[in-house]
This record gives sequence, C-alpha cells and structure tokens, in this order.
Amino acid sequence: MAVVAPPRAVPEETLDRLERIWESRPGLLGWLTTTDHKRIGLLYFWTTLVLFAAGGIEALVMRTQLAEPNSHVVGPNTYDQLFSMHGITMIFFFIIPMTTGAFGNYLIPLMIGARDMAFPRMNALSYWIFLASALFIYTSLFMGTAPNAGWFDYVPLASKQFNPGRNIDFYCLGIIFNSISSTLTAGQFIVTIFKSRAPGMSLNRMPLFCFAFLAASFGLLFALPALSADTIFLFLDRNVGTHFFDVTHGGSALLWQHLFWIFGHPEVYILIVPAFGIATSIIPAFTQRKLVAFPLVAIAELLVVFIGFGVWAHHMYAVGMQTISLVFFAAATAMVVIPSTIQVFAWCMSLVTGTAIYKTPLLFIGGFIFMFVTGGLTGIMFVAIPFDQQVTDTYFIIAHFHYIIFGAAVFPIFGGMYYWFPKVTGKLYFELPGQISFWLIFVGTNLLFFPMHIVGLLGMTRRVYTYPSGLGWDAYNMAETIGGFVTLAGILLLLGNLAWSYLRAPAAGPDPWHGPTLEWTTTSPPPDYDYAVIPTVTSAYPNWEPAAAGLMLERDHEQVAVTPVDGRLSEIVRMPHESPWPPVLALGLALVFISLLIGRYGVAGIMGIACLLVLAAWHSQEPQEQ
Amino acid sequence: MVLASGCREQQDSLAPKSHQARDIASLFWWMMGGAWIGLALVVALLFWSWKRRSRRGFGADTEGPKPGEKQGWYTVVGLGIAMPIVVISTLFVISDLFVIKTTQAPAGTTTKLTVQVTGHQWWWEIRYPGTSAVTANELHIPVRTPVRIELTTADVIHSFWVPQLNRKVDAIPDKTNVLELDADAVGRYRGQCAEFCGLEHAHMSMYVVAEPRADFDRWLAAESKPAHTPSGSHALAGQRIFLDGACSSCHTIRGTSASGYVGPDLTHLASRSTIGALTIPNDPSDMMEWIRHSQYVKPGNKMPDIKLPGSQLREVVAYLEGLK
Amino acid sequence: MTDLGYPVPQQRIGRPAAWWGMTILIASEATLFGVFIGTYYYLRFKTPSWPPDGIPDPKWVIPVILLACLVATSIPMRLASRAVAAGRLGATRLLIAAALVVQAGYFAYEVHDFLDQLHHVDITRDAYTSIYYTLLGADHAHVFLGVLFNVWLLAKLARGLTTYRLNATQAIAWYWHAVNVLTIVVFATLLSARI
Repeated sequence: MAVVAPPRAVPEETLDRLERIWESRPGLLGWLTTTDHKRIGLLYFWTTLVLFAAGGIEALVMRTQLAEPNSHVVGPNTYDQLFSMHGITMIFFFIIPMTTGAFGNYLIPLMIGARDMAFPRMNALSYWIFLASALFIYTSLFMGTAPNAGWFDYVPLASKQFNPGRNIDFYCLGIIFNSISSTLTAGQFIVTIFKSRAPGMSLNRMPLFCFAFLAASFGLLFALPALSADTIFLFLDRNVGTHFFDVTHGGSALLWQHLFWIFGHPEVYILIVPAFGIATSIIPAFTQRKLVAFPLVAIAELLVVFIGFGVWAHHMYAVGMQTISLVFFAAATAMVVIPSTIQVFAWCMSLVTGTAIYKTPLLFIGGFIFMFVTGGLTGIMFVAIPFDQQVTDTYFIIAHFHYIIFGAAVFPIFGGMYYWFPKVTGKLYFELPGQISFWLIFVGTNLLFFPMHIVGLLGMTRRVYTYPSGLGWDAYNMAETIGGFVTLAGILLLLGNLAWSYLRAPAAGPDPWHGPTLEWTTTSPPPDYDYAVIPTVTSAYPNWEPAAAGLMLERDHEQVAVTPVDGRLSEIVRMPHESPWPPVLALGLALVFISLLIGRYGVAGIMGIACLLVLAAWHSQEPQEQ
Repeated sequence: MVLASGCREQQDSLAPKSHQARDIASLFWWMMGGAWIGLALVVALLFWSWKRRSRRGFGADTEGPKPGEKQGWYTVVGLGIAMPIVVISTLFVISDLFVIKTTQAPAGTTTKLTVQVTGHQWWWEIRYPGTSAVTANELHIPVRTPVRIELTTADVIHSFWVPQLNRKVDAIPDKTNVLELDADAVGRYRGQCAEFCGLEHAHMSMYVVAEPRADFDRWLAAESKPAHTPSGSHALAGQRIFLDGACSSCHTIRGTSASGYVGPDLTHLASRSTIGALTIPNDPSDMMEWIRHSQYVKPGNKMPDIKLPGSQLREVVAYLEGLK
Repeated sequence: MTDLGYPVPQQRIGRPAAWWGMTILIASEATLFGVFIGTYYYLRFKTPSWPPDGIPDPKWVIPVILLACLVATSIPMRLASRAVAAGRLGATRLLIAAALVVQAGYFAYEVHDFLDQLHHVDITRDAYTSIYYTLLGADHAHVFLGVLFNVWLLAKLARGLTTYRLNATQAIAWYWHAVNVLTIVVFATLLSARI
C-alpha cells in the first residue's frame, strides 16, 4: 500500500531496498538492456557528440575549400556529399537527438517528479533505432556514395535519371529509419508529460521546459509523416518505377518541394523550441526569480509550432506560384514572428528585473538571445516577398539559418551542458575555462556567419564548391573560414573543460544553483530510482516552494499516473525494467532497411516478419497494474 | 588558369541597375535600419541586465513577487506583441501588396521583347522567338526596354538570377516561369544559376548584355544568320575535323551538317566572351585547354576530354574562333 | 487523510497508458494518410483527364460491399471492448474471433484483387496508378496489421484475463475503429475518380 510520508524522513533500509529493486545489471549488458531514462539520455548524449564532430568536420573541410577562390582542396563530387551530409547530420543526427534524446530523456522525468518515462522499453528502442540509422547513413559516406543532392534533395536532380547511384537511396531509407526513432520519442514525451507528472502538478505548474518539449513533440508527430511520405514516393520512383515526381507521366516536381517543406518548416521550430525550454530553465535559476509572463511564454511555445505548420511555401517563393498564394504564406510568416518576440522580451525582462548571475550557463543564454534575435530579424525580412526572391538560395539564407540554428539551438545546448553538469556528474565544472569557451565560441560564430549576409547580398549562391575571384567575395570567405576554426577552438575548450571537470572538479552537492525545479531536490547524480518519495507539487517552482509531503512507493518498479490536466493521482503503475528486445528489434529493422537498400525485397519482407515476432516476444512480459 | 573576371565585375544585389532591383534594394536598406534598431534594443536590455547583475549569488530570497514584475508584463505585451504587429504589418503591406507589383511576372502586354531561356546541366540555352537566333550563356537585350524572359529547363531545376536587374526565378520541368528584365543603363550584368543542379552548379553563370537598340538589332540579325564559311586552309581543315568527328553529334552549327543538342549551339561561338558558362575566357589558348581538358576545367561536365594531336587541335580552334 | 488532500484511489481514474499509446499511433498514421490523400488531389488537379486515358475508372460495387463488411466488424469489436471490461472472457473471445474471420476474409480477397488489378494496369503506368496503388496498398497494410493484432490478442486471451489484456483489447478495438474510418475515407478518395 502506498504510504504518504514527509520528505527527507526516509529510513536507510528503504533506500537500500529501492536501490536493489532499481539498480541496473552490471557492465555492458546493463547498458544494452537498459530502460532507465538517465542511461538512455547519456547514450544519446555521447552518440550525438560524435555525430556533431562528424558534422563539424564536414563543415570545416567545406570552409577550407571555400577559404580561397578556385580552390582544389576537394572536387565537386566530394563537396556535394559533404554539404548534404553536413545538413542531414546536424539536423537529424545532432540537434534533434541531443535536445529530445539526451536532454529530454534525462530531465523530463526528473522535472515532473517521475521515476521514468511512460514507456521505458520503447524509449530504449528509440535510442537503438537512432544509433542504427546513424550507422546506416554514415556507411554511405565511407562507401563514397553519400547523399549528394543537399539535405533537401529536390527532384528531378534526386531522381534515378540524374542520380543513378545509391546515394539518394541511402538518403530515403536513412531518413525514414531515423524518423521512426523521432516519432516514438515524440509519442513518448506526449504521454509521459500528460500522464506521469507528480500528484498536484497541474498543467499550469509544469515547468516551461516540459511545455517546450510537449510543443516540439506535437510538431514531430504531425510533421514527420509528410517527410516519410515524400521519401517513400522518391524511393518508389527510383526503384519501382512509379511516377509521383515524373512530369512526363503526370507527376509533379513541385510535389516533392511542397511535402518536404510541410515537414521542413515545422522541423525548424522543432529544432529550436526545446532549446527555448533549456533557456527558460536557466534564466529563473540564474536570476533567482520567477520568469516574467510565465503563462504567455507557455502559450507562445505551443503557438509557434502550431502556426509554423502554415508557412511552408516561404521556402518556395521563387518557383513560380501565383502571387496570391505567396501573399498568403507571407501573412502566415508574419504571424509566426509574434510568439517568438513574446518569448524574447519575457527572457530579457526576466534578466533585467531579476538580478542576473552571469556565470557560464547564463552567458550562453545571453549569447543565445543575441544570436536568435539577429537571425530572427533577418527572418522577418523574408516576410517581404520581393526581397526573399532576391536572396533565397544565397549565402544570406545560410547566414540566417545558422544564426538561428547555431545561435538558438546550439548555444542553449552548450549552456544546458554546463547548467546540468553538476546534477548529472555530481561535480561543479571549472568556471573560468567555461567563460573563455563561451567567448571563443561567440566570437567565432559571429565571425563565421555574419559575413555570409554580405556575400549573399553580393551574389554568392549556395552549394557552390568554388567561386571566381574578382566578385568581392574573397576576403569575406577567408574571414568566415577563420571564424570556423575559432569556433572549433571554443568547442574543444568547452568539451575539454567538462571532461577535466569530471575528473578533477570538487563535488557539487544536490543543489548548487538553488534551482527552481524538482531535479534539484534529489542527489547529484540522481539515484537509479530518481525519487525515494514521489513529491507532491503545489507550485510551478517546487524547489523554491516545496510541499510538505509525498508518496512513498517502495514495492517493485512503481510509478504514479495522474489525470492529464489537473494532475490528480490516477493510479500506481508497475514499470518494466531492463529488456533485451529493444536492441534486437532495432537490429531487425536495420536488416529490413539494408535489404531494401540493396534491392532484396523478399529478404526485407522476411526480416519484417522477424521484427513482428520480436514485438510479440517483447509483449510476452506484462507489467502488472495494481 | 585565367578566369572570367573582368575588373570591377559584380553580381551585387545592392548595386541595382533596374527599377525592380532598386525597389528591392531600398526595401532592404529600410529593413536593415529597422533590424539594427531592434538588435540594439535587445542588446541594450541585455547590457542593462548585466549592469544590474547580482553580487550575492545563489540561495537569495526567491519567494513571492519581485519588484518590476508588472513592468515586465507591460514590456512583454508592448514590445513583444503590439510593436511587432505594427512593424511587421507595415512591412507586409508595403512589400507584399505594393513592391511585389513591380517584381512579379509581367502581364503579356507590357513587355516589348521575349527571350526564351532554357536551363541545362550546366549551361543556358537562349532563343529569340520569331528569329532563328540561338546562343548560349550570353543574353543580349535592348537597354531601357521591358523584356520578357520565359524560363524553363531541359533537365533538373535551375534558377535564373541576375541580381542587379531583378530577383530570381526557378526553372521547373514542364513549367514556363516568366521574369521581367528592364536594364536602366548600357552594361554587362553577371548572373548565376541559383538552384543546386548537380556537379557543376558552381560554374553555370551567364551575362546579360544591355545595349542601345540599334546595336541590339545588329547583334540579333548577326546571330540569326547561319555560320560564316571558314576562310583560310587552317579553318577549313578545322571544320572538316569538327564535322567528321564526335563534335557534331553534341553541338549544332547552323548552316552545316553539325546538329546536336547535348551541348550549346556554336554557330556564333566567337561572338561570346566566355566558354563553359563564364568558366574561362574565350580566347584561343583557353579554347584549346577546354577541348583537351574540359574535365579538368569543369569536372563532371558533359563534354569528354577530346584527345587531338596539337596540329589538328589548332585547326579546330582556328575554325571555331572564326564563327563570329 | 493524507497530505494529497484526497485518498490514494483504488480504481484507475482516466485512461490507461495503452490507450494513450494507441492514440499516438493513430494520430501519426492518420497524418500519413492525410498526406497521401493530399497528394492524390494535388496530382488530380494538375491532370486534365483523371483517370488518365487508357486507365479504367475504379470499380465500385464489390469494393463498397466489402467495405461495409469490414466497417461492420466495428460492432463486434465494440461489444468485445464492453465484454472484457465486464470480465466476460468467453464472450470477448467469441466476438473478437467473429470480427477476425470477417477481417481476414476481407484482407484475403483484397490481396487477390490488388494483384489482379496490378496485372491489368501496372503501377508504373502513370502518376495516377502510382498514387492509387500506394494509397490502397497502405490501407491494406493497416488492415493486415489489425488482423495480426487480433490474432495476437486471441492468443493472449486464451490464457486468461489480466488488466494488461483488458487494456490491450480496448486499445485494439480503438485501432480497428480508426482503421475502419480510414478505409472509408481512402475508398471515397479513390472512387472519387469516377466523378
């Protein structure tokens, strides 16, 4: 029977029992079969860091090639694979899995007072599929047949006629494979956020971090099918001989673009909204006050994703659509700016009216606000259709989206790494190298991306492996390349600092920042069971305004379920704990996709049946409810 | 390797040479002014927060409402909702209801001349309907005349962009998109393909040459004629090699038996200033290099390296350089 | 009295996790079908003659009859859902088996018909055939998945009733309602070519 007990009055033998119930198997097997959200978060973290390095190396090779006009560092075939893989890697294999897979997985249960996600085995499956899809698509690079038509792969260039090799097949299958992982994660977050919160945590007491991830999850759930359909059509056109995109047989080349951008625009909000969640976690802690206009910010986070579904054709202003259609999309683009401006001023006024503590995490958030506003202002310029038609497909656009993606997604990721480092490792990072790493990265990224605005206006188009001298582009390109290497230095310092801090820094204790949310109430690092006592929540800032009591769940792998809006206790559920099936299923799916890649459709069918059998075996274990 | 870079050549959208490009450039300068103001405002707020920063650190009193809570709300609603609505609506109305009228596709009746441009991997085919003129990568128009460009593609999506004259428009299969060019001043304007179209997308540029009406008429009349008969034994021999060899299966020279559509029409090749869509200048030594080593000059382009002994090569070049 | 302000409940309030998970799956798949249907109409409105010349209009009599049979299986599935909540295991198994017979029969016939249509008009003919067979095939695949769900469910229920299996039954009934509605929409879309 669940017992209600005051916090911090838990007897030692209860803690030991909880530890024994929840501990992972030792060694490699423990990591392979884990369903613990913290371990899965860490697996995502390290894997995405490796992929970030890959994407970064791709970028630096490109920048080296472009440092001077008419360079011969790499030829067009290699360059085309580099820029395509750079975009694919950074978007699908770094930002999304780092924010959702690493930060989301580790922190959401802790922030809502839960012991794990709603579907722990499916959570593990998301990771193993992600890893398999990353290996799948990177195999193409090592084989020299990486996708080479950009991350957006317009047809007819991506069709069999103009791209006969395996490159685009790797793209289609890799993207579909990866999207399974993201869809499962999105569903996971939605159900967990609605169902697994601590009793008393009604929606208006939920941390803004969770609102942000909820918005991003809805975005992923409803946007990914458009991309999946698009890539399915392309795969069929290329390998079965269908004519979705073939204008000679009734198809449409623009169909690809429409479906791609119906996914693609919400995707960019999915990239940055979780990072907004990180920023809105750091700001209250580092101003030691509640966020200004909390309800407006929560609504804005949801609205920006929602409105973002209606603006896609602003990526297609030059294709020759009628003016009335363009004007409609420009109006929607104008509307989508408002939720972002609400958030920017809420953050700024929180910093101004609070008393900010400018340690490394907040420096990254300050940098984030600067970069996001810069990129957002050029984004507002795209409301003006004639101007967009002048600069679309030039370096001006590259500048815009890198200020947004690097500035508004990566800066909060770096800030978040520092902010939660004490919680995850139990150590307090070294502050001075942290601040230096921020300044190096800030200067480097501005030097790297700001000149791109100028060369774009001077006529330099995108995706060119070289350019002639004498058009006024040379000096800017050289500056950008230097900026790239300065950024590299900053990132290396950041990672080195975190590694060194892990080895040598002093202990942090459970709550070095006097943080507002629940994760600061448990130990650093948290125990396997996260919370000995499931907290009762009576405030949106539960560590600043704690409740008197909580729920003691100490028999087996127990967790609470609540009503979705009010957060009233609904039932106690028993969770599955450790399973070999997720990595096995991911392997089976990988074999399906490999078979499809090499054209062995019969084998793919057989492997598909094997996957269904694995699913049946998976469900032979039935967690019981009380 | 000398490349096609004239002194002070530019592709600069902020050096407009037509009323459309000027309208877009003005729009940009206004927006940039507004953007700097907006950025300055946010930077000022960040700086102010730094000035007011805490010396006390963590664990300070965190409960209850803080001073400035109400001002914070007013600022968020005022600067975060009201101000952007006003500014962005103004921008929307000016650019998307007014400026767009000058940059959008022209109605059929307002233009005085039509030019058909077809994008290929990786060159531009240019035709003048109503005449038999066909050329590549260099488009002549009469100055101060609204010209209708009808754009399509023979293969993948390309994009026609001459920044000093107007915004870009994509070349989509099975679709004809229309753009208006109306140059203010005589001159040679550089443009480039602006939609990734494969290996040599980086080397698919073009010139738009705006000239006085009389000069344009003369040029068009010359381009419409079939090829000059070669004069001199060198050039004659070169013609023989060209027509008997693989060249004539990919290239057309009107008035001869050479009839191929993979590569550009070469009837008046010598009247053009560059080879390979502005990749290298059009002079004898570069021409020889192109024929012999086009795969080095423009790797991946559809013309193979043509291995001819030196004497034959010089004869072919002599022939081609005579095709004025 | 506990500090929660209310007692720890004996019975679950609200919906089980299985329902939530199934709803997420349905939302995602419905969106995918929405994209397929949008594609159908996008291709249709750029084509003057639809179906294009040489391709016959889709037949409607037998497909509509079969559709009615499939949609009718929502009734036994709904009754099974109620029976299992009341603990009547025997009735539940019977109702699911009855639904399964019709659903499996429907699927078997549709596979035969699909292959037969392909034999006459191949998928590679045109954009019309491309979207027609893809949309129809995707629907059949989801029916097949439902058939597998029912087979698995009967195997589980053969060994007795637990809360887990109760939730599974209701979630699978929900899946079937969604697939039936989806199939109506898909058939309506494909048959709209006759207009």
